[in-house]
Amino acid sequence: MSTVRTPLKWLDERLGTASVARATFRKVFPDHWSFLLGEISLFSLVVLVVSGVFLTFFYTPDSRPTVYDGPFDPLRGQEVSAAFDSVMRLSFSVRAGLLMRQLHHWAALVFIASIVVHLCRVFFTGAYRRPRELNYALGMGLLLLGLAEGFTGYSLPDDLLSGIGLRIAYSVSLSIPVIGTWLTYLVFGGEFPTHDIISRLFVFHVMLLPAILLVGVAVHIVILVLQKHTQFAGPGRTERNVVGKRLWPEQTFKSVALFLIIAGVLAGLGGLAQINPIWEYGPYNPFSVTAPAQPDWYIGWLDGALRLAPPWDLTLFGYSIPELFWPAVLMPSVVLGLITFWPWIEPLFTRDRAEHHLLQRPRDMPFRTATGVAGLVLFFVMFLEGGNDVIAVLLDVPVETITRLLQVGFVVAPAIAWVITYRVARNLQVGEEHPGLPLAGERLRRTPRGGYETEPLEPVERSSR
Amino acid sequence: MTVGQRPGREPPRGTRAPDRRRGAERAAGAAFAVSTLAGLGLLVVYVAGGQTQIEGILLALSLGGLGIGIAIWGERLLDAHEVTEERHELSSGAEGRVAFEAALTEEAGPPLRRRSFVLRMLLAAGGALAAALALPVASLGPAPGRSLKETPWRAGTRLLRQGTGEPIRAADLVVDQVLTVVPEGSPDAADAVTVLIRVPPGELRLPGDRADATVDDEIVAYSKICTHAGCPVGLYRAATRTLFCPCHQSQFDVLDGCRPIFGPAARPLPQLPIAVDAQGNLVATGDFLEPVGPAFWDRNTR
Repeated sequence: MSTVRTPLKWLDERLGTASVARATFRKVFPDHWSFLLGEISLFSLVVLVVSGVFLTFFYTPDSRPTVYDGPFDPLRGQEVSAAFDSVMRLSFSVRAGLLMRQLHHWAALVFIASIVVHLCRVFFTGAYRRPRELNYALGMGLLLLGLAEGFTGYSLPDDLLSGIGLRIAYSVSLSIPVIGTWLTYLVFGGEFPTHDIISRLFVFHVMLLPAILLVGVAVHIVILVLQKHTQFAGPGRTERNVVGKRLWPEQTFKSVALFLIIAGVLAGLGGLAQINPIWEYGPYNPFSVTAPAQPDWYIGWLDGALRLAPPWDLTLFGYSIPELFWPAVLMPSVVLGLITFWPWIEPLFTRDRAEHHLLQRPRDMPFRTATGVAGLVLFFVMFLEGGNDVIAVLLDVPVETITRLLQVGFVVAPAIAWVITYRVARNLQVGEEHPGLPLAGERLRRTPRGGYETEPLEPVERSSR
Repeated sequence: MTVGQRPGREPPRGTRAPDRRRGAERAAGAAFAVSTLAGLGLLVVYVAGGQTQIEGILLALSLGGLGIGIAIWGERLLDAHEVTEERHELSSGAEGRVAFEAALTEEAGPPLRRRSFVLRMLLAAGGALAAALALPVASLGPAPGRSLKETPWRAGTRLLRQGTGEPIRAADLVVDQVLTVVPEGSPDAADAVTVLIRVPPGELRLPGDRADATVDDEIVAYSKICTHAGCPVGLYRAATRTLFCPCHQSQFDVLDGCRPIFGPAARPLPQLPIAVDAQGNLVATGDFLEPVGPAFWDRNTR
């Protein structure tokens, strides 16, 4: 026992760790799978940091031209940027380099995906209600930082696909009224393509954004600990307590296992599933373009919005508001703003400003659930349009038809989804049937005389509303 | 201290506790064994020269085996039980807030109490410092000036094939041939990229004042930068004589001054006025007739 006791004593006598750690280790975690979604994001972030540090050792943030003379034949002798050259070296000549690069890219996709699913869980169960409004908005901020990290990251290899993405981002920035040109020139260092942009993206991707992101995640977790977990209603669970498993040992084992399994899955993907093969796209040059060109999945909805938008440019007193402004600046600001400030918007309708620690079932809040589903459908329509050229080839339909259909869908589909979801939620509320669980069966009871009798059980343990 | 020696949780009836424990221990041990073997295998593969797919599988097994072993341990071998924790009031209450407010202001001394002279001067100094520190942001980029409204094309600049850098003779272009051309002297200028197309005689429908921007009403030159989001308008559909942007599918009618006919682009591709010089090569007769690329706030001002 002294292997544990001696260092604990040493630390405790200097820092008083024993009592603090004991209290921390007894923090209660409600036992529900959906509470692990946020942990998936956290663990993907750990994988991102570790693999990212490895990549940084080999990457050169430099757009100066050089001639590629590495082992990949088709590109040998071609002029590429030093950045592209370093990613090629990392992929083909550094041992485990390609594994780490692909692992990093997959981890980024999973990171954003798990944040989005975590956000959905929090949204549809009303976990953001008072007192958690601030932590919810902070979480949205972390999602936006994650998107910025993703975009700056996949732009770094300076390949043709990401270069075009960067050029579109430059054009979007130009479209901002009044300050657009000045802002764009400050960020990009001049007219596209500039020599500074790769090194600037690098500083953002490996220093500024991760620093803010990591501090934000730490604050997110500290607030969670201060406010304690929410929980689903159930026997013994009230607004005044938290029922679940302790941080040590149960939750620690669960979380460590989850971390290792996530890391393992990401490693498998990194080794087996090719992602972002920049040698197929080639180095960036302003004369060429790849087709079909799709960004990483989490930018897909924005690219789709650009494809979906009508050609509406506006001239006001001789000044121009470009057609890009509406789908690429205004729409995302409004949509993401609505989601971020939802904890303050919803009480305007419900007038519910009380403190809540028990979660709601989606069916119990039909208005919110319908609104959330309509929002998801809206994003999905835009996401589909982001792949309109791929869908056109798959279905052998002109790409124009896909765009026209999805333009209609952009307006109609969320409305239909809203009505259907609202009705389904209402019906579930009335019928009290759980869509996921079968009937619980019968209870068998021995009678005092020695016989048996059966009685049917409630379909599901009813939660108090 | 080993957690594994603690008694397991109550098993369902019909199973003997020691059996279940032994089973779980065996399963976790097997998972750890897989992990160990995969880890050693990874070492061997790495030393032997590395192979991405095998590395991925072994790393996945190594991490995943460890994870599954720990998951089994946590689920089946721990003395797990549910506990209840009471919530405490989050708020410090009115009294606590008043005390904190006092600590912030009253207890900090007279200058913080009201808008004293020192406090105002402190704010002024802070503001001035912040402004001075923000100024270097301006060093990040040049002033836009006219850079977005001009390209290197001038009257007399020869059109060169992008890539090879050869001048182009009007007679060498066949109908529906498309070339990407750059200005002589600035072959890398991204804003100067131009597509050159020969269309069949008598098909062009350009505004009257643009007649002398073409060669023989058959060869036309347009900016290759999409007016929507700046992608190179890389595809030419000869059947419909349209230029197609692969990024967001804007389509431009080459015969009608590259007017946008489908997709999100709102403005035509700017036309480059061209002519033939004394040697028979194609030259520009000036810059593009409009600013190239996506629109911006002061695009229409001089």
